[in-house]
Amino acid sequence: MMQGNIYSMRDTFGKLLVEMGEKLKDIVVITADVGDSSRASYFKEKFPDRYFNVGISEQDMIDFAAGLSATGFKPVVVDFAMFLMRAWEQIRNAVARMNLDVKFVVTHSGYSDSGDGSSHQCLEDISLMRVLPNMKVIIPADPADIRRSFPVIMEELRGPLYYRVGREYSPSITDGLEYDFKLGKAYVLKEGDDVAIMGAGVVLWDALRAAEELEKKGISASVINLLSIKPIDEQTIEYYARKTGRIVTIEEHSIYGGIGSAVSEVVVKRYPVPMRFVGATGFGRSARSQRDLLDFYGINYKSIISSVMELLK
Amino acid sequence: MGERDGIPISLEELNKLKEIAERARRKVIRMLFYDQTIHVGSSLSSIEILTTLFYRYVKDGKDPINRDWFILSKGHAAPALYAIMSERGLVSDDDLWKIQDISGMLQGHPETFIPGVDMSTGSLGQGLSFGIGVAQGIKMRGGSGRVYVVMGDGEQDEGQVWEAMTHAVARKLDNLIAFIEINGFQLDDSTGSVKPKEFLPDVWRSVGWKVLNCDGHDFISLISTIDEAIKAKAPVVIFANTVRGKGFPVIENTKKQRSSPDDARKYLLNA
Repeated sequence: MMQGNIYSMRDTFGKLLVEMGEKLKDIVVITADVGDSSRASYFKEKFPDRYFNVGISEQDMIDFAAGLSATGFKPVVVDFAMFLMRAWEQIRNAVARMNLDVKFVVTHSGYSDSGDGSSHQCLEDISLMRVLPNMKVIIPADPADIRRSFPVIMEELRGPLYYRVGREYSPSITDGLEYDFKLGKAYVLKEGDDVAIMGAGVVLWDALRAAEELEKKGISASVINLLSIKPIDEQTIEYYARKTGRIVTIEEHSIYGGIGSAVSEVVVKRYPVPMRFVGATGFGRSARSQRDLLDFYGINYKSIISSVMELLK
Repeated sequence: MGERDGIPISLEELNKLKEIAERARRKVIRMLFYDQTIHVGSSLSSIEILTTLFYRYVKDGKDPINRDWFILSKGHAAPALYAIMSERGLVSDDDLWKIQDISGMLQGHPETFIPGVDMSTGSLGQGLSFGIGVAQGIKMRGGSGRVYVVMGDGEQDEGQVWEAMTHAVARKLDNLIAFIEINGFQLDDSTGSVKPKEFLPDVWRSVGWKVLNCDGHDFISLISTIDEAIKAKAPVVIFANTVRGKGFPVIENTKKQRSSPDDARKYLLNA
């Protein structure tokens, strides 16, 4: 159940974007010369008049999208996560500040652009985006989570939203689970009493794997898919803090300002418990696969297990 | 009104525009009584351009594609925009005197929650890109609206302007008219001493814009140039020669943005 690549994250997104384009005629797709790599180009094949490659110019892309939004279109800006950050100030000062209905979908997030090294890997975006007023931040765990959440985002949610998709690596995490995406709602992937493991994105595979291994040691872990990082599900976080008394967070992102930080902000306010953070603390490097990088930097089930054991001492 | 026998404007209208601009100029200077940190120099260089656009060209309306858009990319000239807006009855004089005050509506830079403001600006280099998005949206929907963007010469240092310049040409946006005010100063120094600017018209022309020039304080020059811009089948940029602090001798043609309330008082009493 926890193995296998059904679809890649970006392929799933690209196909779904076309489906949404058929349904919602106001959707326009804008990219900064990464249409093929991000799969935004699937949309171009079907709707060439609603597709814009602005060239390698991320700052212009953001304000252009803002202008299209001001005339009633629903722009979906598609870019590599790292290079969208080049236009963070434009996102802040135009889109978030005017609260415009622009959706940012980023591929190649985290370590997913494994071969291109630190310049192309994005371990800071969650932090940068969640700090912006009006901005929502959503991180699907796997292709099934994309199919669950993206249509709701396009059809029901207005205003700026950051949607973080990886590249190919997409172990099955939520396949077969029945839940609907709701903004600000976390989802329980596994119930347990001794510790709560919380995170979002493809690294939840490691959270489930860690829970399996811990079970063998007689330790039961809850695993929570936070999915909606902003707004975040404070009630569920508090419930599992109370229930288990300890939390480990995992993220394919810097531990400074990311998901662990977001959870800890809730925990200290509502029910303080000891926590540990599994995530990045520096820049990435090149590797042949995303999995190699996650293991190299200790963002994996082994680190979760040792963090849990530390908390149980 | 309109072009008659080579005269683009009646004497009556010309006098009306001059009166509005003069009142707006005095209002900007009077704002100095209430807040000494506003950008007076940059505002005064924009007065005639804004007066001409709002009193002769910018078509109002609620329909986003069949009205005109105005984007003050050089957002620090907000006092000039607010002064013209008060002339148009969109904000009151009391609002003007509360500029930048915690209890006031008028912010140091334009925000879209202020009536009549089409884009929140203040961070340089972004207005043209937004204008391109609006102009493209209008075209896709078959609307009749035009987009006017006013930039500064110092603003041309921003790399995003280059990104936008080539983008507008790629989209063939003939419903987009940009102004670059050449007042010769940026925050720290004269524009030429910071980075060369004299090549700019050649660059804009070379990448495909129709480039026009005008005197940014002369209504007849402004009107005949904008009339020509409207007829063009390409995005148009108008290099408008202006004077920083125009009409306020204590700061005119210097890099100074402001002066004391005493200077303002003297000007308003004598002028």
